[in-house]
Amino acid sequence: MIEIKNLTKLYGSNLAVKNISFNVRDNEILGFLGPNGAGKSTTMNMVTGYLPSTSGKVIINGIDIEENPSEAKKLIGYLPEIPPVYPDMRVYEYLSFVAGIKGVSGGKRKEQIENAMERLGIKDMKKRLIRNLSKGYRQRVGFAQALLGSPKFLILDEPTVGLDPNQVMEVRKLIKDLKKDHTVILSSHILQEIQAVCDRVVIISHGEIRADDTIENLESSVGGDLTLIIKVKGNKDKVLITMGAIPGVSIPSDITYVETNVHTYTVSIAGEEARKEIISRLVTAGCEIIEVSTVKSSLEDVFVKLTTQNSGKKGLRALLDEDESEAEFNIDNDAASEEEEK
Amino acid sequence: MFSLYKKELQSYFYSPFAYVVGALFLFIFAFPFITGISNIDSSQYKFSFPNIFYNNFFYFILLIPILTMRTFAEERKSGTEVLLMSSPLSVFQIVTAKFLAVATLFLTMLLATLFYPIITMLTGEVVWSSLVCGYVGFYMWGLACIAVGMLMSSFTESPIIAAVLGELAMLLLIFVDNLASSAFIQSIPHVSDVLSWLSTQQRFTVFSQGIFRLGDIVFFITLSVVFLGWTIISINKRRWSRG
Repeated sequence: MIEIKNLTKLYGSNLAVKNISFNVRDNEILGFLGPNGAGKSTTMNMVTGYLPSTSGKVIINGIDIEENPSEAKKLIGYLPEIPPVYPDMRVYEYLSFVAGIKGVSGGKRKEQIENAMERLGIKDMKKRLIRNLSKGYRQRVGFAQALLGSPKFLILDEPTVGLDPNQVMEVRKLIKDLKKDHTVILSSHILQEIQAVCDRVVIISHGEIRADDTIENLESSVGGDLTLIIKVKGNKDKVLITMGAIPGVSIPSDITYVETNVHTYTVSIAGEEARKEIISRLVTAGCEIIEVSTVKSSLEDVFVKLTTQNSGKKGLRALLDEDESEAEFNIDNDAASEEEEK
Repeated sequence: MFSLYKKELQSYFYSPFAYVVGALFLFIFAFPFITGISNIDSSQYKFSFPNIFYNNFFYFILLIPILTMRTFAEERKSGTEVLLMSSPLSVFQIVTAKFLAVATLFLTMLLATLFYPIITMLTGEVVWSSLVCGYVGFYMWGLACIAVGMLMSSFTESPIIAAVLGELAMLLLIFVDNLASSAFIQSIPHVSDVLSWLSTQQRFTVFSQGIFRLGDIVFFITLSVVFLGWTIISINKRRWSRG
């Protein structure tokens, strides 16, 4: 288990990470999510012992990384943002060197290197100079390096950057496989990636933790509301009056003109029941329904919502409460924050 | 630690780097050797190799920063510093391994120059005591310079700036010698004492006369240790103030 307690990092007078605390449980994949410059890399650098923290503690399996760095660092495999490879070395040579500095004994070294190369599909590159490898392959060599020494914890800073879509899929699969005997902290700003592989998510923004929960919980925290997009042929006023009469249906946040008498309405509804009701009432009112789709609020909404709030550290509970009280304005908020993102 | 030492040493030989610098070293050595030989009119002439070191101090001293410029600057530039710092190695071990690697390379270069005394030995006579002591003295002095060069490399991200800083430091070392022997400083006894204590050339002269003095050896070792210690502090300091 990795315990991160009240970690703070000051760069001069610039507060990069503010008093963050979270735990990483054994054999889980923790997604570390945040916009660019949120303090992800700084936190990872502190967890791996590369940077000292201004205050706070990082405890790896009961070992404090500042007090006993060499023991703690043995438990960690780190893939930094820029793969730490020497361009003048050959792939095998490089991996052998890394195994050496990590204290892998001679007998196990060959086996571990072969194993790591196998897992990342770089066996054919064994004799190539790293200088001549493409970015994707360098990234994979960097990843292979992190696996050497069989560390219990793997800390991966944006591991799929620079890979092509096939490689991205392979690496994600690999990370899931690694869960069997490793604990993984994965940092990324790619939401699909986090959604695809992680068990739990910590969202960080402006150096503060905004949320620490499972993906399901976070998604439901934005509100159980569904967004219904419905394309109807019929008089606009009639449609609006019909829909407005149904309980649990909000005023449309968006009405788009398609052609004469055909509009697309975006409304927020309380649940499946409301959707059925809308459809049946519109049909009885003599409107023709051309298209219906419902959108569930996703991790993306959570992310946008949490990372665009600028001040105040809030517990998840507070955030949840806030969501409930703000439920009616949800759509406006989201639309506004989406614009901000753009 | 051995892995790092091995990698550092190999990295000099992966590129033409070590060969070019080594060749330059031998080249600088060859010139005074040739002029020395051509000045000999008797086959019984005793050839003093330490003189070559001594008279060409200036050229040799400027080669050292080229060897050390990449030690830390390059790691920082290419982002591989993270790998070393997040490995179980301590900063002390990293600095030591790198120092030993450069020291080994320097030793190799120095051993290559044995070619000249061996040729001389075949046709003439070599003053062994001064030759051996001269080599030892020169090596010790080189170690101190390597430590200084590494410190300079730890200050910056650019190997070129590290080299320039290194050259400046070397010039300063030579300057201390000249300053100590200047008439003005000589007239102030205390200052002149301190400065001549710091003077590396004078100590080297003693070596080249075939004399081992414990004090001189301790001096060079202390100088190396102080600068290596300073390098460790400089690297740790960078970790704290990064960003």
